[in-house]
Amino acid sequence: MTTQRRGIHLDQSELLCKKGCGFYGNTGWQGLCSKCWREENQKEKQKQIQEDWALAERLQREEEEAYSRHQKAQTQPTITPFSKFEERKTKEKSSKVNTVTKFFTPSTKTPPKKDTPFDAHSSPSPSSSTSRHSSVGSDYATREFIDFLKPLKSGREIFKQCRAFTESMVYKRDMGADELSECVQDFYQNLSDRLHTQFKGSSDHVESVMDEVEKYMMTRLYKDVFCPETTDDERKDLAIQKRIRALHWVTIEMLCVPVDEEIAEVSDSVVKAITDVIEMDSKCVPKEKLACITRCSKHIFNAIKISKKEAASADDFLPTLIYIVLKANPPRLQSNIQYITRFSNPSRLMTGEDGYYFTNMCCAVAFIEKLDGQSLNLSSEEFDLYMSGQASPHWPQSSGASSCSPGSATLSQVHKRLDVLTGLGERQERVMEKARQLESDLIDWTDEVEQKVQSVLESIPAETQNPTATTASGTTSAASSAIDSDNVENEHLPPPLLPQVFAG
Amino acid sequence: MTSRLSLPVTMSAMRVDAKVVMLGKESVGKTSLVERYVHHRFLVGPYQNTIGAAFVAKPIQVGEKVITLGIWDTAGSERYEAMSRIYYRGARAAIVCYDLTDSSSFQRARFWVKELQNCEEHCKIYLCGTKSDLIGGDRSLRQIDYHDTQDFADEIGALHFETSSKTGNNVDELFQRVAEDYNSTALQYMTAEETGVDLGQKKDSYFYSCCHNN
Repeated sequence: MTTQRRGIHLDQSELLCKKGCGFYGNTGWQGLCSKCWREENQKEKQKQIQEDWALAERLQREEEEAYSRHQKAQTQPTITPFSKFEERKTKEKSSKVNTVTKFFTPSTKTPPKKDTPFDAHSSPSPSSSTSRHSSVGSDYATREFIDFLKPLKSGREIFKQCRAFTESMVYKRDMGADELSECVQDFYQNLSDRLHTQFKGSSDHVESVMDEVEKYMMTRLYKDVFCPETTDDERKDLAIQKRIRALHWVTIEMLCVPVDEEIAEVSDSVVKAITDVIEMDSKCVPKEKLACITRCSKHIFNAIKISKKEAASADDFLPTLIYIVLKANPPRLQSNIQYITRFSNPSRLMTGEDGYYFTNMCCAVAFIEKLDGQSLNLSSEEFDLYMSGQASPHWPQSSGASSCSPGSATLSQVHKRLDVLTGLGERQERVMEKARQLESDLIDWTDEVEQKVQSVLESIPAETQNPTATTASGTTSAASSAIDSDNVENEHLPPPLLPQVFAG
Repeated sequence: MTSRLSLPVTMSAMRVDAKVVMLGKESVGKTSLVERYVHHRFLVGPYQNTIGAAFVAKPIQVGEKVITLGIWDTAGSERYEAMSRIYYRGARAAIVCYDLTDSSSFQRARFWVKELQNCEEHCKIYLCGTKSDLIGGDRSLRQIDYHDTQDFADEIGALHFETSSKTGNNVDELFQRVAEDYNSTALQYMTAEETGVDLGQKKDSYFYSCCHNN
């Protein structure tokens, strides 16, 4: 882009690659085209690697020399190894720096040299960048993003801007969520506008780049901007969770869901849909969260199609989605919806297929929040009774095993409790028995001890002196021999000295 | 240079230019209308091998250009009335459907028209009477007068179509008109945008030249 602008007042020939291969060059690549730049770079990198090897070998040699010198000159044993240690430390440090740089350069194939921004950013502030990239996920995202941008003409520029923006967002943590969202959306807008002029209106290209930009930025920002403390997202999460739990009694019939869970394939689809909507919380990127909702919706359509044997319309879909959300009770539902709304690419949210399913999800949540007796074809008294748990709605006989009937559930629970109770009784019996046994054992033991003490007391006057004397002399001789053998094994101590002392 | 530029295109779904919402009471035939338009068929009775028609992305040829409409089906039941606003947010066109043989469906259509006028001023409204094949057979079944509806459409600045998903009458015309109208408003929008972009470009080029002179 910059070259295009400069081209306005430059000669055409100046834009071409300096190597004269006929392609256009780029000032960022020292006037070379991408291919020549890559070749040139490869050579330099190879040289760098060889130099590093040479340095490592030299250090190794020096270390070995120093070590052998130390072996010979034993008079000053402490100084040399310490300086050696220092040396090794510096060497380690240099290699560490090297790996850090290697890490930020995309791969050995086309590694930009020190003057490129890809690794330039790692050197000025290594501490801050390492702390920011702490999680493995964001490191991976960074690398993927760089790999993606590599073949692009302005990849360097895009990466620089995204990185600068992402890092600037860290300092805006105290801002409100809406302001953060505005910042990110403005950035998306500006970047995509710029890309549109660059790619000359090829929307598909722009969109695929924007997808990667979103992926990179949001993976790194996720921790700071998902359910931020400045909002009441968490409170809303808990509210909807509690609400869904209180609505456990809502049936398929009340919602007019056209799904027959007695068909194995249908209940299978329902389970898959529930899994997908729960999985949404585990994703970091808005696009991937949206993909979970879309997958969930596709399973719902499949379930409706099989049950009704006709094409599903929105009139069938929305109630089923509500039913799935009620059954799944997805974690942090409101936070996820807010996060997607704030930080997703707006065009995707407003028009595309993902946007359609996301809108339905929003509707389902809004419905669950506002739900009253009327919307379930119940009187408000009935609704209040069910909500307070004082009564439970008539459960249809036809419902199979999949639509769990509460009666059997409570009954089985009662049975379980009874089993536990009898188990406890048995255990108490056993404890009592053991206790009694212990008591008798204790009595036996005191008797036994008393007897032994008695017998010992009787034997004492005869043999008090002798046994102690013999044992004492025995241990000393054993100890001396042990010391002796130890000394023989130790090479560093002069072995003849100690025996001489003993002998003398 | 461009020949070596390999951009991995990972498009999961088709790109969509404009959002079009289908509004209307349950069973007025919103889904059939979309099905007819997209797949050129009318399905009677139990049928299989069709995917859900709740969301369709349909490319339409308008002059030299191809406009892709994202057609959003919505749930028409009254219990979801409170949420309809979420559906038509950002829509560029709304096709408000009513059953020509059911006067209550027209009352509901009036409700959506009012909602759209209040909340979504950039959304163009299309009134669509469905099941015109029924009244073609028996005129006494008609409950919604054509001229009354036309007057209403003029009053609200909407366009008015009477369609049949069974025969396909007027269906293509309706969606073609939606795409054409979008294209012409988009053109106006674009030219208005372009002047804005020009100003921005001047600023940008200034910014870049000063950076590179350093």
